[in-house]
Amino acid sequence: MSSELFNANPTVFSSARSASNTSDTESDGDEVEEIDQDEIFGLIRTIYDPEHPNTLEELRVVSAPQITIKRNHIVVEFTPTVPHCGMSTLIGLSIRVRLLRSLPSRYKVDIFVKPGSHQSEHSVNKQLNDKERVAAALENPPLVDTVEKCLSKPSPILQLI
Amino acid sequence: MEGSSSSGSDLAFKSSQTIHTEHLKTVRAVAWSPAGKTLATASFDSNVGIWEQGRDNDADEDGGEDGEAGLGNGEWECIGTLEGHETECKSVAYSASGTLLASCSRDKSVWIWEVQPDAEFECMGVLLEHSQDVKCVAWHPQEEILASGSYDDTIKLYVDDPSDDWYCFTTLKGHDSTVWSLAWSPCGRYLASASDDKTLRIWAYVDISATAAENAGEKNNKVLQVKPPSTLTSGQGDGRWVQVSVVEDAERSLYSVSWGKGKSGGLGWVASVGGDGTLRVYDIQEDPSSVALKPKLITSIPDAHGVYDVNGVSWNPRRGFEDVLATVGDDGSVKIWRVDSGKC
Repeated sequence: MSSELFNANPTVFSSARSASNTSDTESDGDEVEEIDQDEIFGLIRTIYDPEHPNTLEELRVVSAPQITIKRNHIVVEFTPTVPHCGMSTLIGLSIRVRLLRSLPSRYKVDIFVKPGSHQSEHSVNKQLNDKERVAAALENPPLVDTVEKCLSKPSPILQLI
Repeated sequence: MEGSSSSGSDLAFKSSQTIHTEHLKTVRAVAWSPAGKTLATASFDSNVGIWEQGRDNDADEDGGEDGEAGLGNGEWECIGTLEGHETECKSVAYSASGTLLASCSRDKSVWIWEVQPDAEFECMGVLLEHSQDVKCVAWHPQEEILASGSYDDTIKLYVDDPSDDWYCFTTLKGHDSTVWSLAWSPCGRYLASASDDKTLRIWAYVDISATAAENAGEKNNKVLQVKPPSTLTSGQGDGRWVQVSVVEDAERSLYSVSWGKGKSGGLGWVASVGGDGTLRVYDIQEDPSSVALKPKLITSIPDAHGVYDVNGVSWNPRRGFEDVLATVGDDGSVKIWRVDSGKC
């Protein structure tokens, strides 16, 4: 494997302070609280980039406005730092695994690179949204190890009714 | 683990046996041989396993009759392992006669094996026609013609040339994304495909004059029998493969399609399932004036497996049970449905 990084000098941004708990909806015991953009962002902002000791938030790879939620359908758009980024599928896979482990089963998640941000946009998107490819990838121990390293910083645990 | 069923119907299902395969990874697909005695498994470990049931130690003189009382109690044994694929095996299927077995993989290839006596398997061909993963293979119900569906968005048909090489004789293009599943009509003149592009499409081999005739206002249905190209004589006319139907009801990827005889006559019933969780059953009737088909939705069951994706659907092939099908989902359950009541 080449020792050259895809992006040796990424721009690092500071991370925002954690959003305060603005849940002001009164919910009776039977209602399921809907998840919002900020909560999804909270789950993925702390994922580490595979190549640098920075989070996806710090590198502006993910952001709250790039997350769309409609009923039980979540779309996460992420922006690779450079158009030829070969780590894009790995980053997308890490996002998927984090959400798979944290969200209730009713959510369907689609993950795309921001349009125009990657030279193999269609190919990366197709791989990330093929659940058989994802399942097979997660049976590949070296790949799983790499994903776990990206996810190793503890993430907030969502308490959902 | 004991399985059990709960239902209000006259049919009861119980878990018969568990085969602890030696596959090292997910068992992705299974296929029964036409005789119903052999089971093939396709695994992400890249191998195909072949399984047969050993003698039932408790069998009395009435036991083991073909077609009677189902399976015995003998242990299932691995009688063969087909190696060759380089990456995950996605699908496996026996030909109608049971003498051929096809497998496919993420390595872009389709392998064809001949089933020989004494559990020997001879590789008859390795077909590298697709440019991406091959997701599924499906044999024609009568002819030795194989269809494959791929991540490259196409469907390919293969046949054995008389000079003894398998080759791809046509490619069906039209889907905008991965083709996950294929099903031939029981009559063998149509092929249904289910795709990540959320559509169900039906393809047929039609007389080349069919489109021109329709455009000219002639009433004509010129769907031809599907036969190996080498057997067609000039007297049988030239045909080409066309898409005769597109169904756009699904809201997410379709993962599986099955075509059964149904109970309404005509071409039968097509069932489709996918990521939107809905089980849909269509009645297919031919139109004598056009090659185009207009599938009619007769049952739609949302949330067939609750919030989970439905990954597979299969009609019961047994006579008298043409309204019964099974679905499997990410909830880990198998559900048996009967169409008239629409209840599980």
